[in-house]
Amino acid sequence: MKKIFTFLFALIFAGNIFAADFSSDFSAANELYAKGKFSDAANLYEKILSSGESSANLLFNYGNAEFKSGNLGKAIAAFRRAELLSPRDSEISANLNFVRNQVQGTTVSENVWRNWLAQLTLNEWAILAAIAFWVTFILLAAKQIRPALAPKLRGVTFIFISLTILFGAATGLQAAEHFSKQSAVIISNDAIAKSGPFDDAQNAFPVHDGAELSVLDCHDNWIQVTDGAGKIGWLQLKQVEILPGA
Amino acid sequence: MESNSTTKHPSRRIRCANFFAIAAVWLLATTSLVRAASFTASLDRDTISLGETATLSLTFEDGQPRNLPALDVAGLQFSQTGNQTGFNLVNGAMSSTVTITFSVAPTRTGEFQIPALTADVNGRQLSSQPLKLTVTQPGAATAAQINSGNEIAFAKLILPKKEIYDSETIIADLQLFYRQGTQLARQPQLAGMPADGFTVGKIAGENQTLTQVGNAVFNVIPAKIALTANRTGAVKVGPVTINLSLLLPSNNRQSDQFFDPFGMFSHREQKDLAIATETLAAKSLPLPAENVPANFNGAIGDFSMTVNAGPTNVTVGDPITVHVQISGRGNFDAVKLPDQSGWNDFKLFSPTQKTDFSDQLGLEGTKTFEQIVTPQNADVRALPAFSFSFFNPDDGKYHTLTQPAVPLVVKAAGASPMPTLAATQNSAPENQTPTDILPIKNELGTLAKNSAPLISQPVFLTAQTLPILAFLAAFVWRKRADNLANNPRLRRRIAVEKLVQTGITDLKKFAAENNSEDFFATLFRLLQEQLGEKLDCPATAITENVVEENSLLRGVSENLRNDLREQFQLCNQARYAPIRGTAELNSVAAQFEKTVGELQNLKA
Repeated sequence: MKKIFTFLFALIFAGNIFAADFSSDFSAANELYAKGKFSDAANLYEKILSSGESSANLLFNYGNAEFKSGNLGKAIAAFRRAELLSPRDSEISANLNFVRNQVQGTTVSENVWRNWLAQLTLNEWAILAAIAFWVTFILLAAKQIRPALAPKLRGVTFIFISLTILFGAATGLQAAEHFSKQSAVIISNDAIAKSGPFDDAQNAFPVHDGAELSVLDCHDNWIQVTDGAGKIGWLQLKQVEILPGA
Repeated sequence: MESNSTTKHPSRRIRCANFFAIAAVWLLATTSLVRAASFTASLDRDTISLGETATLSLTFEDGQPRNLPALDVAGLQFSQTGNQTGFNLVNGAMSSTVTITFSVAPTRTGEFQIPALTADVNGRQLSSQPLKLTVTQPGAATAAQINSGNEIAFAKLILPKKEIYDSETIIADLQLFYRQGTQLARQPQLAGMPADGFTVGKIAGENQTLTQVGNAVFNVIPAKIALTANRTGAVKVGPVTINLSLLLPSNNRQSDQFFDPFGMFSHREQKDLAIATETLAAKSLPLPAENVPANFNGAIGDFSMTVNAGPTNVTVGDPITVHVQISGRGNFDAVKLPDQSGWNDFKLFSPTQKTDFSDQLGLEGTKTFEQIVTPQNADVRALPAFSFSFFNPDDGKYHTLTQPAVPLVVKAAGASPMPTLAATQNSAPENQTPTDILPIKNELGTLAKNSAPLISQPVFLTAQTLPILAFLAAFVWRKRADNLANNPRLRRRIAVEKLVQTGITDLKKFAAENNSEDFFATLFRLLQEQLGEKLDCPATAITENVVEENSLLRGVSENLRNDLREQFQLCNQARYAPIRGTAELNSVAAQFEKTVGELQNLKA
């Protein structure tokens, strides 16, 4: 019995032990950043991220270190991943916009409704829709059990049905963005999009480090992208970092 | 200079003379029994050049070898080429000869010793004498040998000039001559082309011609070889060695008279030759150090250039593709796009290049460069003049080709619709563009695994069915309650069923207590309730007579009617004789339970 308790104890607190390890690495990376060793700091942040664990703050600091190392594309990718975890963090938005302003050339644009949707994460939209959905059906069930309450519940039921439709639509749109509209961030200098997915294809247009492009297709180690100006070309996967649409 | 290496060419007479061969073998077998056998080994010549072959003959006289000796000499390759059998009848004495021939091909130069060979002939172990073979490097024929007209084949290598420039490419002529009347057994093979100070490039063959040298007429196979000097100083090329196999008219016609007395079949012998040219020397000069153009980067030859660029009406940051075509004759490997000064206002991307040759040697053609540039500001008015320099070895001078500047119209980036994400920024004074990014955060925050979104997780999706199921359950419950409220008979039936269930329990309890009075009172009431519900009449109106009078009960089985009658009678009797045993009461209760079950299943 004592062994079982010991095992359960270890199982429960194992997560905290790993978190403590990451915390020391995180602090060490912060110190490197403070000393101006941005590239080393970025490597240490990346080491934590390679474990599969991430947090908005970790990605934020990683983005800062990559930006200070001159890697605009990797910085933008990190800030965008941080924004997915914490979409209402003003510091992440500020740094993301700052780095985007350093990028040359065209890039994809985002419209108003997409910005509005991005105020919440996909999971937050899903949870809101689920709550509205549950409350709606609980109210409908209550009306069946207590018909006398039906007149009183009519107004609030209508509100929750509307909220369910609204949140459900938002979740659906966000999910469509997430799963079908990937974007690519250029992480290499002087990349040139080709007219076809092979090395000997003609040059289509140049793209700069940090440019954000929409992904249209994928073929072997090549992806088809389009920029904000409607140009279409193919890039090698090693030249970009792929991000979900939302 | 060629060397002789002759082997018998297979001819049709061999196939035609099977009969004679069988007879010869028979004769051999018979004569070998009476004469002493012998075994000798011989080479057709003791000195050959590398690339040629010698012929080793193993001759067995008056005997047949049971096995062939093993031939294994390092540096020599043996392959069996023939097996001949002959016999002679001289003064009544018959003798036979078996000759087995091998082709001997050396793989290197040097002196080789073929050891004594041992064979089993007619049961005796016979040995041959050891043989010596010398293999030398092939040498070039002298002018006197060539002009004598006695050579069967020879080769010449000719350089166009004796003084060349470092990195200059010249074309050497290689000519292979072989005597008219001979035929090529197979295509000549280039065996070696040593070059000191030259890089050997492509080789292009040309059409065969005829020419007279001395008193003989020769077929000439010409070829051109691209040679590029790769250093300064004395350079040389050769000797070029060629392996040649020719079919020569046969000189041995003695045996042919027997098999082909009318000369109907051609008679040729194959001869393998190793042909070599002279070694030619030249002098490689360094490029002049005077008047070297600033952007010269090693191109040597004679070239022309065209440049075009487009589009010429662009926005800052937009790509402009510059096509540079350099055409002419020379060493295209050394032709590179020169660095352009005065292009500071442009961002340059790595150029691509493609070369299209118009000759087989890769010396004439067009090399096309594609360079993408992007203007960095709106002040750019033109693509600067483009220049390319090369050294022409024909006149020994440097030349510079220049294309004029290409006018451009470059618009500022802000003039076009701003597609960047930054365009959505709030431009209020308090939100003006910061000068640096915000500092890093000190807290790690809550770490989370990178998991799939909730809407793609089965647990989350399954959980969404729970409120639907709850609503459906409430809906069904509601419908059932409504049905009950609107149907009095159904309501009474359900009430009677419950009453009967509790009543049976009471009957068993009363039976156990031997409480006959309450037992039969309960039994009578249950009968009234059950029959009243089934016959749709008040329970108090039910008496024993209803069994006889009611039309529904008249239609049921006689057993059921008897049971009902009996139970009513028991109830009536109990009023007068209430005391009965527990066992009898339990029996009555069981009978009642059976009767009630049949009544409940009765269709109204």
